[in-house]
Amino acid sequence: MAIRRFKKVLVANRGEIAVRVMQGLKEMGIATVAVYSEADRTALHTVMADEAVFIGPSPASESYLMADKVLAAAKQTGADAIHPGYGFLSENGPFSEAVTAAGLVFIGPTAASMALMGDKLSARRKMRASGVPVVPGTDEAVTDPEEAIRIADGIGYPVLLKATAGGGGKGMRVVNEAGEMASALRQTTGEAGASFGNDAIFVEKYIVDPKHIEVQILGDGEGHAIHVFERECSVQRRHQKVIEESPSPSLTPELRERICAAAVQTAQAIDYRGAGTVEFILAPDGEFYFLEMNTRLQVEHPVTEMTTGTDLVQAMVKIAQGEGICYAQADLQQRGWAIEFRLYAEDPARNFTPSIGRITALTPPMGPGVRLDTGIYEGFDVPIHYDPMLAKLIVWGEDRDHAIARSKRVLKEFVLHGPVHNLAFHLWTLEQPEFLDGSYTTDFVSQRFDPENWLSQLDAGQTEALMAAASLFEAQRRGENGTAGDPDCGITNWRANARRAMTGNN
Amino acid sequence: MWMKKRYVLKFDDLQHHTVVARRGSETEIHIGDGEALPVDAHTVLGGKAFSLQLGNRMHLVHLSASGHQGEVTATLDGRPVSLTVMDELKAQALESLGEAAGSGTISAEIPGLVYELLVKEGQKVHKGAPVIIVEAMKMQNELCAAVSGTVTSIPVEAGQAVNPGDALIVIDPEPGE
Repeated sequence: MAIRRFKKVLVANRGEIAVRVMQGLKEMGIATVAVYSEADRTALHTVMADEAVFIGPSPASESYLMADKVLAAAKQTGADAIHPGYGFLSENGPFSEAVTAAGLVFIGPTAASMALMGDKLSARRKMRASGVPVVPGTDEAVTDPEEAIRIADGIGYPVLLKATAGGGGKGMRVVNEAGEMASALRQTTGEAGASFGNDAIFVEKYIVDPKHIEVQILGDGEGHAIHVFERECSVQRRHQKVIEESPSPSLTPELRERICAAAVQTAQAIDYRGAGTVEFILAPDGEFYFLEMNTRLQVEHPVTEMTTGTDLVQAMVKIAQGEGICYAQADLQQRGWAIEFRLYAEDPARNFTPSIGRITALTPPMGPGVRLDTGIYEGFDVPIHYDPMLAKLIVWGEDRDHAIARSKRVLKEFVLHGPVHNLAFHLWTLEQPEFLDGSYTTDFVSQRFDPENWLSQLDAGQTEALMAAASLFEAQRRGENGTAGDPDCGITNWRANARRAMTGNN
Repeated sequence: MWMKKRYVLKFDDLQHHTVVARRGSETEIHIGDGEALPVDAHTVLGGKAFSLQLGNRMHLVHLSASGHQGEVTATLDGRPVSLTVMDELKAQALESLGEAAGSGTISAEIPGLVYELLVKEGQKVHKGAPVIIVEAMKMQNELCAAVSGTVTSIPVEAGQAVNPGDALIVIDPEPGE
């Protein structure tokens, strides 16, 4: 394949991922084009780009999701390629085809791969045919409750009803016994139709206490792929990932080799092009099963980069430029341990309700082993139109214990005021035995987190310091450094001013 | 001579008082009825934090104002604290206005945008009357007065983003409500 080096790339995204992708492009000497909505004129991704094109009102549906506007912006600026980031248009087949038809390069997989893997049923069928282990279940949609019950009897309860077009924890329902099936099927079908426009439901065994292991892969689009090892993403809340780490503490070297090989097999079976992630469920009995494949760069890619010394954004660009995969499998190694903490504008004490507002103070953590990927800055007004993730804090240590000890230091150094956020929740997690010994599963947060009783108590010294500081803060705010003119001090204006003049104490 | 000022602080559901005493460049703090603690305090990090030296111990406390009634967000050692702090006179004044004042206040429950104000300051409202429309999660929510009374203040304006707990319409209930 001929090599086409990009001179200019448009990043079809916003926030931290747009910033991160642009950082990778800049290092390669590629000019960057940002697209921005009304709320984002002063967002970090917009202001750091070489060029920027306004694409509409703040709601994503009127801006970042408007494929026509994004493509028009790319043509207008003469971009050679578009990097879609994650979310938004990153797995939109028609968009990637329109980009290609316009003579630009879509930095991602083909529409065919997206379609194949985006439909869970077709993905299951393909994996089964390729010899990759799949969660026991059906490969066809189920509409009849009686049939669902027959299937569930065959697999064994509990089972999961899943929407073929679902994702992000939506369109799923656990069924514990035959009596629940009819109404569960009806509800899940209805929700799927409403949320995804596709009401096809299938039945899968519900693995209890699962671990979520995913493998990063890179494919050249011509049948060759390599893996860049695994990540574990089992600290989740309502199926949303909160903390990810690499390596996974749950894998033996032998299991690691088998799971990573299965991921490469998956990628090669579909001639995958670019960066992708194959997700597996690891059952308590040590069996692992293909769950789904994400045909895009993932949020948690930094933990892979930190432990393998790779740059996945640049690897994606090189594949898209026709240079093939820039790493050799034999050269890749995991070194040390990385943990990523997602900082969300959510209040752990109020059921993680989203919070918004201006960032009134931001003191980022620094020093060894720290990486901060963010689109916010001090003074920035966090818009309400997009997801509430403020930043990703990634910490690297020489081993897992070191990474955890370092993470505690880093999380305490990181101060953010404005919206309420979940930094303290991460500190809580780092004290939990299940996290420390690596035994945590995806039910960990819902089982152990008690919103009434989770914040550490301040000790006497800290309480004293807090009260002293708050009092001085208020005094300073009111300009009371000399308390001149303050009636309740029993001193008149005149005398206070005279005293100040005498001492020169202003 | 020491110049003293008393403050009232509220956090973790408890009320505390402090006295800040100054004499020239010296500062002492009394926490509650405790003894005078000499304190060396400096604002650092561009004004975002106080560095306090109490004895030999160093404390770095980040503080940001988060409202207009003495609300402050603090962080120390990774632990966030929401508190209110105000000088004693102001605290007493607010208390004497009584609990009844503004007890008909409608506050935001989830983050959203003020879509439309339906009442004006000074307006009398009946219990159940719609007073404000807040847009949240792609829906418009009409909020109604929980008591009959008078609208004494409207601290927000149309188009403003609001967080849970933010006062939207302050209503003084009618006597007898």
